[in-house]
Amino acid sequence: MKALTANRLTDGEVVFWQAGKWVESFGDADLFPDDDPAGEAAEAHGKNQPTVVVEPYLIDLVESQGLWAPVSYRERIRALGPTNLNHGKQTAGGAVVAALQHAHGGARSKGRVDLIKRK
Amino acid sequence: MYQYDTIDKDMLADRSAEFRGQVARRLSGELNEDQFKPLRLRNGLYLQLHAYMLRIAIPYGSLNPTQLRKLAFIGRTYDKGYGHFTTRTNLQFHWIKLSDAPDILDHLAEVDMHAIQTSGNCIRNVTADPYAGATAEEIDDPRVWAEAIRQWSTVHPEFSWLPRKFKIAVTAAPKDRTAAKTHDIGLNLKRARDGSLGFEVMVGGGLGRLPHIAPTIREFLPAARLFSYLEAILRTYNRHGRRDNIHKARIKILVAALGREEFARQVEAEWEKIGSGSDLPDTELARIRGAFRPMSFETLPAQSEIFEEAKAAKPAFARFVRNNVKPHKAPGYGIVEVSLKAIGETPGDATADQMEVIADLAERFGQNDIRVTHEQNLVLPHVKLSDVPVVWEALAAVGLATPNMNLVSDIIACPGLDYCALANARAISVAQHIAEKFADPDRAERVGELKVKISGCINACGHHHVGHIGILGVDKKGEEFYQLTLGGSGAEDAAVGQALGPALPYDRVADAVDTLVEVYLRERNDGERFLDTFRRTGVAPFKEAVYAVAD
Repeated sequence: MKALTANRLTDGEVVFWQAGKWVESFGDADLFPDDDPAGEAAEAHGKNQPTVVVEPYLIDLVESQGLWAPVSYRERIRALGPTNLNHGKQTAGGAVVAALQHAHGGARSKGRVDLIKRK
Repeated sequence: MYQYDTIDKDMLADRSAEFRGQVARRLSGELNEDQFKPLRLRNGLYLQLHAYMLRIAIPYGSLNPTQLRKLAFIGRTYDKGYGHFTTRTNLQFHWIKLSDAPDILDHLAEVDMHAIQTSGNCIRNVTADPYAGATAEEIDDPRVWAEAIRQWSTVHPEFSWLPRKFKIAVTAAPKDRTAAKTHDIGLNLKRARDGSLGFEVMVGGGLGRLPHIAPTIREFLPAARLFSYLEAILRTYNRHGRRDNIHKARIKILVAALGREEFARQVEAEWEKIGSGSDLPDTELARIRGAFRPMSFETLPAQSEIFEEAKAAKPAFARFVRNNVKPHKAPGYGIVEVSLKAIGETPGDATADQMEVIADLAERFGQNDIRVTHEQNLVLPHVKLSDVPVVWEALAAVGLATPNMNLVSDIIACPGLDYCALANARAISVAQHIAEKFADPDRAERVGELKVKISGCINACGHHHVGHIGILGVDKKGEEFYQLTLGGSGAEDAAVGQALGPALPYDRVADAVDTLVEVYLRERNDGERFLDTFRRTGVAPFKEAVYAVAD
């Protein structure tokens, strides 16, 4: 499973793709099965919005507590906020935040690796 | 403190207006991200994990209360109520909106501050001894020279597009509090036998992927010739630095490749061509020096009754004095170190409220002077000993009186993966766990001086290579692991640490540090610091203990 993420241009906020728009909560993100071309289509759409978001890319997800969570801890920190202070997105609480906080290990998201390679 | 003149002020106003235009063009789509990124970086604005980060220059770590209050205002208005002091003695705000950045730069310009040259391949913020003007050890006030370098290097046209970033430190005391030997150029003020002033010039230090300790290329450079010599170094580097490979582009690689002697020879040849035309005129030096006239200290007895009584009555105050109050050149005064390393807090962070308390204390008791150290703490450099008890109480009331300077919980940590887009692993939470292990102040004092430095990636913003215990976060198949090094030092006895062994997982790092400390306590001879014991015993006993546990 995958989701599409980026940073919003005006404020840098971490955002996720949901039905043609960008939302702040990972819990609201559209989920794309790995072989579903809709994910790449959404990514292409995001790349055509340079005044809305910066560097959209697909992230890989794994199951955690019956929900989906980003496979890489980097993406979990982006989705939750920093771990040293409780003042990021994690303050919203709820099942999705709990699932992200309990997810373990993993690997880098392929989308992010591709982005690093491009740089 | 140096005061901006109209030229400085006009330049900042122009830069701020220019950036406002650039941001507007980016938001409208006239500039794309690739075009805009170098422009925002020229103004210290990075895009990080959760938001934009604005890095504000604090030249030679020197602030007045008005400036610190302005930083508190920005933190409260545009960030989440705090800021993060860095190892370059800068301040970073981690929750900035792009659309607010032009207004923030205007606010900064009002108090003679900016974010220029806090990023990019240019000469970065110059650092100096945080005890400048306060310690009896110094030969001259390094701020005079650091300010002259700031003026010379700010938007210097020839050195605005160097092969890579460039960092200069100035110190004037035998005890190096600037990590001069890990800088691209380290300048150590000295006096010749005839009393004339000069610099030992060290070039080609640096941390990052390939750490180097700077060799001395000139033992004594007459002070009046500083700027032509700096120009010769920068010109040699600008011409021959490795622009083809970002990992080999720092001057340290050039110096190492040519060798110290050959590099020095090329610099001297260039210097001869330049002549003295680019040196600072005496009148200009005198003008700058005038801004750092020695403070007028009261004539006081060396001992203060109030101070001594407070020490006798309050063990907690006595502990604070032991660890955080250092000798001042004027009798009856002390240098007060303000720890930004409260146990369990984020190293280098200060809340807006805390910044305001420090600004008030500097105004009431500290001659309007505040310093930032490269170890991410603050200093009130001129406090009457009789005022130290009141200052201590005011600091303690806002969590700023942790008596841990140079102890194991006084940890340098970069923002790491909690904030930074470059990081591979977290640094802050590792620092928090280690500090919590040594929360008992008696134990921390028994251990004594121990510098723990943590970086979340190989770029080494947390100076891990030169930690007595260095910790480097790495990404091993997507998981946080940490490589430990021992025996590094960023001080006058600078050295790059030696690897302990295979990287450890996140949840074993704090225990491993605890084990290393236990080995030290077992092995140490009288008077030995952790570093001394390590240098005597080598890595073997430490390695054996950590991996016996880890396995």
